[in-house]
Amino acid sequence: MMRAVLIDDEISNLENLQALLKKHCGQVTVMATAQNVSDAVAAIEEYAPDLVFLDIQMGEQTGFEVLKLLPIRNFEVIFVTAYDQYGIHAVKFAALDYLLKPVDIEELKDAVNKADRKQVRHTATSQLDFLLQQLKKPETNVSKIALQMQNEIRYITLSEIIRCEADNTYTHFFLSGGEKILVSKSLKEYADLLRPNGFLRTHQSHLVNPKYVKSWLKEDGGILLLSSGEKIPISKPNKDTVKKALQQL
Amino acid sequence: MVQILHQSIPLLFQALLFLFYGFSFAIIAASLMHIKFNTMKKIIFTLLSFIITLSTVQAQKGINFSRTYPAGGKLLMHVDSAAKNIYYANVFPNQPNTSFSYLPEVSQVNIQINFKKKAHIQNYRYTILVDNKPSIVNQSINEAQLEDTHAGGDEEIFRSTTLGTFPVKGKVITTLVYSTEKPLDIEKAVLYGKPLPKAKIKAFLKRTVTDKGVNYTPITDPKESTHLTLTEKDDELTLVKDRSAIDYLYYTTIKDKKTQKIIYESTAWQYGGYIDETNEFSPYLQVDKSIFKKSGDYEIIIQPSTFSRFKMPANEMEKYTARYTLAITLDQENYSKRELWMYILFAALAIGLAFLVILYFIKKRNQKKLAENEQQKNTAKLQLNAIRSQLNPHFMFNALSGIQNLMNKNEIDNANKYLSKFARLTRNVLHDRELISLAQEKTLLDDYLQMEQLRFGFTYKINHAENLSLDITEIPAMLLQPFVENAVKHGISKKAADGQVIITFMQQGNDLVLTVSDNGNGFDTGKKNNGLGLQLSNSRITLLNDIYKENRFTLAIQSTPQGTKISLTLSDWL
Repeated sequence: MMRAVLIDDEISNLENLQALLKKHCGQVTVMATAQNVSDAVAAIEEYAPDLVFLDIQMGEQTGFEVLKLLPIRNFEVIFVTAYDQYGIHAVKFAALDYLLKPVDIEELKDAVNKADRKQVRHTATSQLDFLLQQLKKPETNVSKIALQMQNEIRYITLSEIIRCEADNTYTHFFLSGGEKILVSKSLKEYADLLRPNGFLRTHQSHLVNPKYVKSWLKEDGGILLLSSGEKIPISKPNKDTVKKALQQL
Repeated sequence: MVQILHQSIPLLFQALLFLFYGFSFAIIAASLMHIKFNTMKKIIFTLLSFIITLSTVQAQKGINFSRTYPAGGKLLMHVDSAAKNIYYANVFPNQPNTSFSYLPEVSQVNIQINFKKKAHIQNYRYTILVDNKPSIVNQSINEAQLEDTHAGGDEEIFRSTTLGTFPVKGKVITTLVYSTEKPLDIEKAVLYGKPLPKAKIKAFLKRTVTDKGVNYTPITDPKESTHLTLTEKDDELTLVKDRSAIDYLYYTTIKDKKTQKIIYESTAWQYGGYIDETNEFSPYLQVDKSIFKKSGDYEIIIQPSTFSRFKMPANEMEKYTARYTLAITLDQENYSKRELWMYILFAALAIGLAFLVILYFIKKRNQKKLAENEQQKNTAKLQLNAIRSQLNPHFMFNALSGIQNLMNKNEIDNANKYLSKFARLTRNVLHDRELISLAQEKTLLDDYLQMEQLRFGFTYKINHAENLSLDITEIPAMLLQPFVENAVKHGISKKAADGQVIITFMQQGNDLVLTVSDNGNGFDTGKKNNGLGLQLSNSRITLLNDIYKENRFTLAIQSTPQGTKISLTLSDWL
């Protein structure tokens, strides 16, 4: 059983989400709904829910402000958003869950199930702290990323990451200490996420931190030699972009 | 045929002795008596006359003069032994019966006449003039004095006699001989003992063709150098010489001074027209203008004809030569018509070419300008499209979410209705049209506002002036939607059912005025950071003004805590 509070400025969205939860996620009990920031804070404090569905864009305010106003955040958050790139970016960096409107039923079920499991481990608080810290900084200035591993969340400094390599829908992170982390998200997602921070997509399966590029080898039509000694292929379509990016460094 | 006789030395001695005695006596007498110069002159002349008389007497006594020359026609002349430079019996053009002998250094001349044996001597008469004064008039031949001679060396035997001895120095002796059988065939022999006079040009006459005929412009008593301008209308130049008894002696040449080429020669003087002070016609020459090909200096030389029998040395000739310089300027009009046409044609071509070149560059520049304008316009359009397609995604997904809710609430009819509206709205936004009618805009706004109503349950009205034809009047697509969206999002979304949006389409003169008002809490219009909505609105207005240059789009915003009203004026739109 999960006790939930639903926060959205639009009544129809609240109605809709309530109906979907009732029908598809039987373990969730909606304790309260709120249409603005102050009502939301009040409802959370009153019901101390396990789970909060939080709309990011609420009129002229954001759902993040609800989080900022709460001193204790011992609940799981599932963000619900229609369209908000900035908020979503930060949420992804914090490896938090989010749903896009109109809500997909399968995604809703997955998110709820994940939250249900997490509840046991109580790691959410630090994740939300991380999110709120990230939101204070401009996107390109973010220095850490939260990585969701099998059993834990790791906060990795971006400069620690040498490179990422795709493994089907998983991604291997190669860190400067020689550590290798497997994350259950596609390389595509991390490529999009880390591109503003200068990471180079040299190949369909490779994302490289330019900080660790030692030289450009001309063999086989272009290969990057990293300071770790590894050789990363550069695919033809990416050659020009990679070259340009490296020249600008 | 005629031979010059050799001189006889004793005769020369005699003459010299006479002269010597005479002069010595005169000088001694003058110096002794201290007489005045005039008196002395008189004495000398008297002495000279004495000598001449003595010579004449001697000749008449049969003492022959030392040299004999033909004098023209039947006449021979005997000259004294001291004579020099004898240019005898010259004949000139147009003067067939006249013989001219120039005797500048001869004192006495004895004239002899010779007849052929068959001639009817009794029919001949002769007249001798000294300086045009008759000395012997119409005298018949004294047949008693006729002797058989060889007439100066001819083989044939002639009947000859002397007509008299005359002092010729400083005089002109003219002998006229004719037969009563042919009284008009007068043989004339001129023995010229004076220095030859230099010819003088009395006037240049420039002939100009006028409408009425011709007009003469004179330059009288010209100096040695004369300037003359010849225009296209001038066709002839006349040279007038002073009149003398021996005009026929002079011939005229005109030289181009630069090339020293003779461009004109004439020996034939005409008489008439120009009358001199003695009331007689003056000799003149007509020179066609065409001989002067170019502007420049030309020399007119008038001199005695080259004497045929004894060539006069050049320095001697120069004494009798008159030279005039004509500085001729041919006026520009003197270009021949063909040349003139050529120049006009060339000038026209050059001007035409220059004009074409200029035109080409102007056109090119205009094209560039036009292209730039077009590009600017296109850029503006693209930017506008980019803004236009930014139908707020937040709205779109929330609207879809609203429909999802209707479905989940089992309001299938409503779900269908709003889904259709949503589709139409999206289609209108995606449809890349520049202009849509007010009616279409109204439908779009209706769809949009009803979708928003689904989210925020407010009320709205779209009013329009009755004189405004919604179907005909067109406005740029998606013109009002962003303002309406602002009204919903920032104005009345918080007010829910109490919120109201009013849209009006109005006509003010030629202007179309569109207003959107809401009863929200308003905002500070002075604040810069008024969000994306207002920024986009302003840039849209700027872009629209770039595209529709003839009209002006002006945006006015009034905001109070009781509500906000924006009015968009499209100047001269209707």
